[in-house]
Amino acid sequence: MIVEDVLCPFCGCLCDDIKVEVEDDKIVGVKRACRLGSSKILGHERTKAPMVRVDGELVETTYEEAYDRTARILKGAKRPLLYGWCSTVCETHKKGILLAEEVGGVIDSTATVCHGPSIIGIEEKGLAGSTLGQIKNRADLIVFWGANPAEAHPRHTMRYSSNSSGMFTPEGRRGRKVIVVDVRETRTAKNADKFLLIRPGTDYEVISALRMIVADKGDLVPDYVAGVAKADLEEVAGIMKAAKFGALLFGLGMTHSRGRYKNVDNALSLVADLNGFTKFVVMAMRGHYNVAGFGQVSAWETGFPMSVDFSRGAPYFNPGETAACDLLARKEADAMMVVAADPASNFPRMTVEGMAEIPVIQIDPFPNPTTLLADVVIPSAVCGVEAEGTAYRMDGLSLRMKKVVDSPYPTDEEIIQNILDRVRRLGDDN
Amino acid sequence: MREIRVVPRRDFRVPVEAEKISPDIFAPLTIEEIRKVEVWEGNRKQALIDLFEISGDGDPAKPEEVLIKLDGNFSRVKRVGEKMTCGRIGALGDIGMHAGNGMAGGEIAIKGSAGDWLGREMRGGKITVRGDAGDYVGAGYRGEACGMRGGEILIEGSAGDYLGEHLCGGTITVLGNAGDFPGIANRGGVIVIGGDAHLPGAEMASGTITVRGRARVLPSYQYQETVEIDGLSLKKFLGDLVDNGKGELRVASVEERGA
Amino acid sequence: MIIKGGFVYDPANGVYGEEMDISIEGGKVVEESRDGKEIDALGMLVMPGGVDAHAHIAGAKVNCGRIMRPEDGRRGIEPKTKLLRPQTGYTVPNCYAVGYRYARLGYTCAFEAATPILESRHTHEELEEIPIIDKGALTLFGNNWEVLECVRDGDLDKLAAFISWGLSASRGYGVKVVNPGGGEAWGFGGNVKGIDDPVPNFGVTPREIIRGLMKANEILRLPHSVHLHTNNLGKPGNYETTLATLKAVEDIAATRDRQVLHVTHMQFSAYGGTGWRDFESKAPEIADYFNSHAQFTMDMGQLIFGSATTMTADAPLEYGNARLLHAKWSNHDIELEESSGVVPLVYGRKMPINAIQWAIGLELALLTKNPWQVIMTTDHPNGGPFVNYPEVIALLMSRAKREEELASLHELASKRSSLPSIEREMDWNDIAIVTRAAPAKILGLPEKGHLGLGADGDVAIYDINPTDLDPSKDHSKVKEAFAKAKYTIKGGEVVVRDGEVVAVPQGRTYWVDASVPEDQAAKVKADLVEKFAKYYSIQMSNYMVQDAYVTHPRVVKAGVI
Repeated sequence: MIVEDVLCPFCGCLCDDIKVEVEDDKIVGVKRACRLGSSKILGHERTKAPMVRVDGELVETTYEEAYDRTARILKGAKRPLLYGWCSTVCETHKKGILLAEEVGGVIDSTATVCHGPSIIGIEEKGLAGSTLGQIKNRADLIVFWGANPAEAHPRHTMRYSSNSSGMFTPEGRRGRKVIVVDVRETRTAKNADKFLLIRPGTDYEVISALRMIVADKGDLVPDYVAGVAKADLEEVAGIMKAAKFGALLFGLGMTHSRGRYKNVDNALSLVADLNGFTKFVVMAMRGHYNVAGFGQVSAWETGFPMSVDFSRGAPYFNPGETAACDLLARKEADAMMVVAADPASNFPRMTVEGMAEIPVIQIDPFPNPTTLLADVVIPSAVCGVEAEGTAYRMDGLSLRMKKVVDSPYPTDEEIIQNILDRVRRLGDDN
Repeated sequence: MREIRVVPRRDFRVPVEAEKISPDIFAPLTIEEIRKVEVWEGNRKQALIDLFEISGDGDPAKPEEVLIKLDGNFSRVKRVGEKMTCGRIGALGDIGMHAGNGMAGGEIAIKGSAGDWLGREMRGGKITVRGDAGDYVGAGYRGEACGMRGGEILIEGSAGDYLGEHLCGGTITVLGNAGDFPGIANRGGVIVIGGDAHLPGAEMASGTITVRGRARVLPSYQYQETVEIDGLSLKKFLGDLVDNGKGELRVASVEERGA
Repeated sequence: MIIKGGFVYDPANGVYGEEMDISIEGGKVVEESRDGKEIDALGMLVMPGGVDAHAHIAGAKVNCGRIMRPEDGRRGIEPKTKLLRPQTGYTVPNCYAVGYRYARLGYTCAFEAATPILESRHTHEELEEIPIIDKGALTLFGNNWEVLECVRDGDLDKLAAFISWGLSASRGYGVKVVNPGGGEAWGFGGNVKGIDDPVPNFGVTPREIIRGLMKANEILRLPHSVHLHTNNLGKPGNYETTLATLKAVEDIAATRDRQVLHVTHMQFSAYGGTGWRDFESKAPEIADYFNSHAQFTMDMGQLIFGSATTMTADAPLEYGNARLLHAKWSNHDIELEESSGVVPLVYGRKMPINAIQWAIGLELALLTKNPWQVIMTTDHPNGGPFVNYPEVIALLMSRAKREEELASLHELASKRSSLPSIEREMDWNDIAIVTRAAPAKILGLPEKGHLGLGADGDVAIYDINPTDLDPSKDHSKVKEAFAKAKYTIKGGEVVVRDGEVVAVPQGRTYWVDASVPEDQAAKVKADLVEKFAKYYSIQMSNYMVQDAYVTHPRVVKAGVI
C-alpha cells in the first residue's frame, strides 16, 4: 500500500508530498523525500523499553514505574526544566506547557540553541514574512544569508525558493537571481549568481552598510566594510532594490555569530527599508520540523514563544535568564525533562555538565547521547510516522502530520498526560 | 539611619527572587515582620527568615532612613531593590540579576560584582558597582521601546554586552571595558566607557556615547571632527545614520574601519 | 435554572426592562424550569449574553502580535489558580485570558474577524483553546486568486461554489473581504487606490470583486452578509471611497432577513481631509447615508486611548503605519490568498489624529438613528482591547462623560467632529441592541442575542438597577458594573459570579456548510487541482481543516440546494 501526501518529520521544510510504501504495517519504501527525511521515516534503532538508572546502569522497567519516577522527580524539584519539543507535535506541546504550569517549571524549546536569537530580533522589529508559496510564485531574488539549504534543507530550493517555479516565476531558476552571503563558500554558494564572502562576526556591520547604500547614503560608507569592498556591497544592494520580489532567508550563520539577535534585528530592518523601494520578505530557515510549532503553541498558551518560567505560577519570559542554556550553564536547574530533542549533542559543554549533575528524564523514540545522561528513559512513537498531530512549517503554516503505521509505543502526548496525572495525584496527597 | 542586616544562611543553587528586599517594603515593618516577608526560591514560597538571617534595628522607620546591608553571597538573589524609591542598599559582596529593577530613587552600592540587567528600566536614584556588571546594564525589558529613563549607574570594573540598550535617559559610566553594542538604540541617554567597546551606538537616535579606549565604529557613522574632552582627544561621529540618528559618538582610538 | 426578578432587556423580543423571570433548561431558554436552581437577580439588569461580531482573537496574526510584543504579554499577567490557566497580555492576551475576560464582561460569543483559508487550521487551534465562549471565524476571500478569476470571468455560480468550498476548507462562518484587490497587489508591494483601480495581473476592480462576492453570498443564502473592510481604510478622505462602495452595491438585495452588507470598523473608513493636516470627521455623512439605507450595517471600531496592536489583512496600510510611526512591523503574505500586517502603536489623547478618530467612532454610533444598524466594537485590538467595552458603553450612555473626556483631549477632537453637539444618550435598550441583539442578528445567529423560547441559555446579569441609576450622571457606576458581570450564564451554566470566573466549559465553534450544485463544485475542484499542482506549496489533500481541529462544532447549513 502506498500512503500519499505524507508529511516529512525531519526539517522545517515540512514537505507534505512524500509517498510511503507500507507492507504488513511496516514501512518498506519512501519516495520523494530527501536522504535526511527518508532515513527518519524508514527509521533506525529504537529504545525498546522504558529504563531507569539503578546503580549507574540503565535497566528496563515498566511505563508505570517510569511515569511514577518522572512525576516524583518533577514534583520534588524547585527549578525543573522541561526542554526540547522540536521533533514532536503541537498536541504534545500543549500538554507539556500544562505540566510545566503544574510543577512550576521552566519550559523551553530547542530554539534556544538555533533560532531563539531570531525571535528576540523579531521582538525588536517585527518580521516581514510570507508563506513559502508566496516566494515560489513571486520571488525573482533569493538571498541566503548564513544558510546552506543544500546541506540542511535539501528540498527547499526545489520546492520553495531558488529552483521552484510558479505563477509569476515560470522560468524557475533561470528567471531568478540568487545571492549567498556566508563566511565560507558552501555548496549553496557555489550555485549562486553572487557570493559575498564575509568574515565571521561581521554580519551586523555589513548589514548596516547595506542599509546605508539602500537608503542612498552610500557615499558615507567607507571603501571597505569589515574587509568587504564597498563596490561588492553596492552591487548586492543594487540587485536587491532592482528585484520585483526579494526574499532574505537566513540561517544559523547569522544567529550564532557575534552579534546574534542584533544581526537578525538589523536584517529585519534592512528588509523593512527595502520595502520602501520594492517588495521584500524575510524568513528564518528553521531547523527541526516543528520547532516553529512550539513557538506558536507557547505564544497562544502563555503569551510568550519560548523560555517560559512558571516558578511563580504566572508566565515569566526573559531569555538570557530563563532559557534552557541559561539554567543549565548556571547550574540552576535541579531536574530536567528532555522531550524529542538531544541536548547532549547540541549544547555547549558547560551546559551539558549542568545536565550531568541533575536527574534527567528523556522521552524520545530513539537512543542518542542524551540517553547516556538520563536517569529515566521513556520511549515513544515517532510523530508523523506512528502518531498524528499538528506541526508548523518554517513559515508558520500549520499542517497535520499523518500516522502511517501502528506503533507499540505510546505517543508523546499520552506519555506527558500520564506524567501529568501522576503529578496531580502527588499534589493532591500533599 | 535604621540599619537592617541580611545574611544568607547558605549558598543558593536555585535562584531566589527577592524583590521584597527594598527599603520601601522594609521601612514600615518591625524586624519580626520583615523576617516573615515572602520571597521565592525557585517555585517555593519561603519566608525571608528561612533563607536569611535578619538582624538590626527593630522598629519601623521612614524608608529614606532605611539602610539594608547585604552581607554574604547574593549572586543568586535577584531583583533586590526593585522599584525602590529611596533609602539605601549596600551589598558587601556580589549581587544577582535585576538589582534595582525599575528603581526610582535611593541608592544601591555594590562592593562586589552585579549580575545581568542591573538597573533595568531604572527611572531615578543611583547604583554603584565596585566590581564588574553583567549584560544589559540599564536596559529595558524584551520588546519595550525604553530601558533606563533616568538616574545614574557607575561601574568601576567592566560591563557585559548590550550596555544601556534602549536607553531613554540617565547616565551610565563604566570605568573599564564594555562588551558588544553598548548604547544600542540609545534615545537620549549618556554613556561613558573608560576602556574599549565593540560597535557602540548601533541604531542610536539621540544621546551621547563616549569611548575613552578603543572601539570598532559602524560604517553607518559619519566622522565629523576631533574634540578634546577631559584632556583626551576623541574622534566625534554622527549616527546612527541607518535610522537618520542624531546621536553623538566619541571614540579615542578607532579600529581601522575597513578592516 | 430560573433567573428571578431581574429587569430584563431583550429588545429582539420587545422586552424593555420588564421585571420577569427567565427559565433555562438543557442549555436553552424554556417556558419553565424544574431543576430547582435559582439565581436571584432582583433589582438587577438582565440581558442576553454579549455577542462580539468582530474581534481579532485567534490565528496567525494574533499570535504574531504576541510573539513580537513580549512587552504586551507582561501586562495583565495573572498566575494560574486551581481553576484557571495563567493569563497574560493586554492588547494580545493569551487564549485563556480571551475567554475569561469576555465572560467577565457578560459576553458569551465572539467571532474572529479574519482567517485566510490556508492558515485556518492555526485559527482553529487557538479557538479551541479559548474557554467558555462560543466562537466562529470569518474567512478571507477578497484577494483569493480563484475569486479574482471567477469575478473576471463573470461566473457567479462558480464563485458561489468556491465560497462554499472555502468555508468548508477553513471551517469558516462567513465571507470576509479586506481591501479587495489591494492584498493581491501587495504581493508585489502595490495597492489599489479606489474601487475602480484595476488589480494588477488579474484585470478586475475592487468594485467587481465586492459585487461578485456579495451576489455569490446571496446565491448561497449565507446566514451572514459579506463583511467588508473597505479600500483606502485608514486614509484621510476615505469616506468618499466608503460611500462610493455602498452606492456601487445599492441594487443588490439580500436573500435572507438581514443586511446585504456589513461594513466593519467604520471609524477607520469615515475620514475627511486631503491629508493628515486637514484630517477631519466625515461620520455625519456616513451616518446620514445609513439613515436612508436600511440594507447596510456597520460596527464602530471605537478607538481606546493607550496601547493597541493593529492587525489586519490590509498589509499595505500596516506598512504605511509602521513607517509613519517608526513602529515595529510584521507582515505576512499568504500565497494565492491574502496578505496581512501587524503594527503596535499607542493612541494618545493629545494626538490630534487619535483624538478625532476617538470622536468619529462615537459620532457614528450616536448619529445613526437605528441602533440595529451600528454595533459596538473596538475592532479588538486595532482600536483597542475588548476589555474596554464598558468604557464605550458609558460613553454612549452619557453626554457628561463625553464632555469630560473631550476636555482632556486635543482640541481638534471638538473642532473637527460634531461630537460636542450630539445630545443623544443611549438607553439600556439601545445598549442591549448594540452589544448583543444586533450583532447576533447581523451574524445570523437565531439562538443568540435574545432570551426568547429556544434561545441559548446565555445571560448576563449586571449589578445595576435601571430604575434608580441615571447612566448619564452615574456613568462610572455603569462602567464598573459592565466590567464585572454579577453573573454570566453560558448555556445554562453559571460561568462568572461577582465578576470572577467560576466555571470553564468548552464553547462551540460555528461554521457554515453551504451546499452547491455538483457540476459547479466539480468546476471549482478542477481549478483547484491545477492551482495546487502549479502554485500552492502544499498538497490539496493536506489543505482542508480536519475535524480534529473543531471538536465542538455547530454546523449551520446554507446553500442553493
